[in-house]
Amino acid sequence: MNAATDTIRFENVSKFYGEVLGVNRITLRLEPGVTTLVGPNGSGKTTLMNLMTGLVQPSRGEVSVLGLKPSNATEFFCNVGYCAQFDSFPRGLTGFQFVLDSLMLFGMSDEDAHGLAVEALERVQLDAAAAHRKIAGYSKGMRQKVRLAQAVAHHPRVLVLDEPLNGLDPMARAESLALFQELGRQGMHVVISSHILDEVDRVSDRVVLITGGYLIAQGNIHEVRQEVRDKPMQLLVRCDSPELLASKMFAVNHCVEARLHADGRGVFVRTGDVDQFYRILNEIAVEGLVKIEAVAPFDDNANAIYQYLIGSEGGTV
Amino acid sequence: MSVFLHDYRPYDGVTTSLWRRPLVLARYGMAEAWGSKITTILFIAALLPCVVELVMIYLADNPVARMLVLRGSPVLVINESFFVNVLETQCWFALVLAAWIAPRLVSFDLGDNALPILLSHPISRFGYVLGKFIALAWSLSYVTWMPVLVLLVYQCYASPEPWAMAHLGLAFGIVVGSLLWIVVLALIGLAVSSWVKWRVIATGAMFAVVFVPAGVGGITDAILRTHWGLLLNVPVVMTEIWRRLLGAPPLMSPQLELPNTAMAVVLLLAGLACIAVLNARIRAREVVRG
Repeated sequence: MNAATDTIRFENVSKFYGEVLGVNRITLRLEPGVTTLVGPNGSGKTTLMNLMTGLVQPSRGEVSVLGLKPSNATEFFCNVGYCAQFDSFPRGLTGFQFVLDSLMLFGMSDEDAHGLAVEALERVQLDAAAAHRKIAGYSKGMRQKVRLAQAVAHHPRVLVLDEPLNGLDPMARAESLALFQELGRQGMHVVISSHILDEVDRVSDRVVLITGGYLIAQGNIHEVRQEVRDKPMQLLVRCDSPELLASKMFAVNHCVEARLHADGRGVFVRTGDVDQFYRILNEIAVEGLVKIEAVAPFDDNANAIYQYLIGSEGGTV
Repeated sequence: MSVFLHDYRPYDGVTTSLWRRPLVLARYGMAEAWGSKITTILFIAALLPCVVELVMIYLADNPVARMLVLRGSPVLVINESFFVNVLETQCWFALVLAAWIAPRLVSFDLGDNALPILLSHPISRFGYVLGKFIALAWSLSYVTWMPVLVLLVYQCYASPEPWAMAHLGLAFGIVVGSLLWIVVLALIGLAVSSWVKWRVIATGAMFAVVFVPAGVGGITDAILRTHWGLLLNVPVVMTEIWRRLLGAPPLMSPQLELPNTAMAVVLLLAGLACIAVLNARIRAREVVRG
């Protein structure tokens, strides 16, 4: 399998809706795994997803999904599963019928469609009794599950999920995230947009930050955080003597903040020079005055990167 | 970082041909259209005139019944004009049914933003419209050519004279006239429903699209002292077409007669306008007007 047939590529892609900018000059290459699109409302996330799913055509540039173009509808759509952000269904259908008819639109026989619909509904853990009730009577979480089942039912290689966690309770969120992570591990492209950054952060292999239709940053979360050099990095050091560690850290120039953890067993350190910080921490550890238990970056997550680069609170995007 | 095992297997089974996919949407559409009690009531109401006409054919063809009920009066004659009236009645019921069903097929999908989900399948916008068109056309067939053909077949069977062979052309006229009207209604219905998301307004707008131009045409005729404004009068144009197809006497005097080409062009332009609206409105994303 070569790179072109295993990646989602945007080559200098722009999309305008009349005079309204959707996205502008996006060049992007997404590898298999879980990718999170991060950006405020109206930033172009849904446009990017619509371009990826062939629902809109770029005004300029070229989009290729696993080497396929949307003009080759049959092969293209059979490889792409899409879960729209809208709570939208054709009326009067049961959850099972919705997934079944969706599969038949992919051209599957009754028998295959039946088997795959059952499998997909089991996968999203929607019980059989509920699946045979009308969608109109479903809770928001159940509707979300049916949409997800519809998106994964035909075994696509690319799964595009617009706000897939909306309306799900914590348990269902955890199950969905585990499913995304599992699909990503199996080599599938899972592209998610979500406002719940803390949760998608845990399963994402990379983030794509977008605002005002422009790509701000992309890549592995930790790598992107490293690139944001003008914001001091925050680390949590777990140790037996946080007060002593804090006082020692205050003595060095690059440390701009040291704050005790609420449980009294650690200290948050904000540093402008990570390499220097680790060198000094090593020296402190060698001295033996402070017993270091753990060191972990505290702000190399999607939410923090979002705040640094886009400037608003990620949880309320 | 995930470890990519690459053990994911896409579906590689046999798939049906592309032309069959709109039939899935047509099936959806039929279920949607006939899931309403009002559709059933309208359907029954549309068939009531057929029952009356069936009785009329029976009375006309049965000498004993005619003697008892009509006292031998020859007023009831089953001919081309009779079937034009039957067809006209059924076709106007079809308008009512289309005004009720069409918004259920499209407005709901647009109102619920269901198009992105449907169009992210291997089905084009044309396929989507075709599926809805089939559902609407098939539903309208139940009240147009199907019952009228049944009446014709009954007349052929019940007539004591050798009636059938002399009137075989009626079957062609009934089917073609009905299908033409069904196509016009379906296109107008789908276009109006794609433009107006609110179902009740869409139903009203459909009547407006059929009857308002008739008024405009009448005003045009009065001001310009011409008869070409009749071309905007869809009821008149269609009645004239049905009469010509069934071989019945024309509706208007010879000096007001509309040429076949002019009527065909009007219907073609109306159809193209509807297709243009559908092309603009049936999109996989929110269409912002203005």
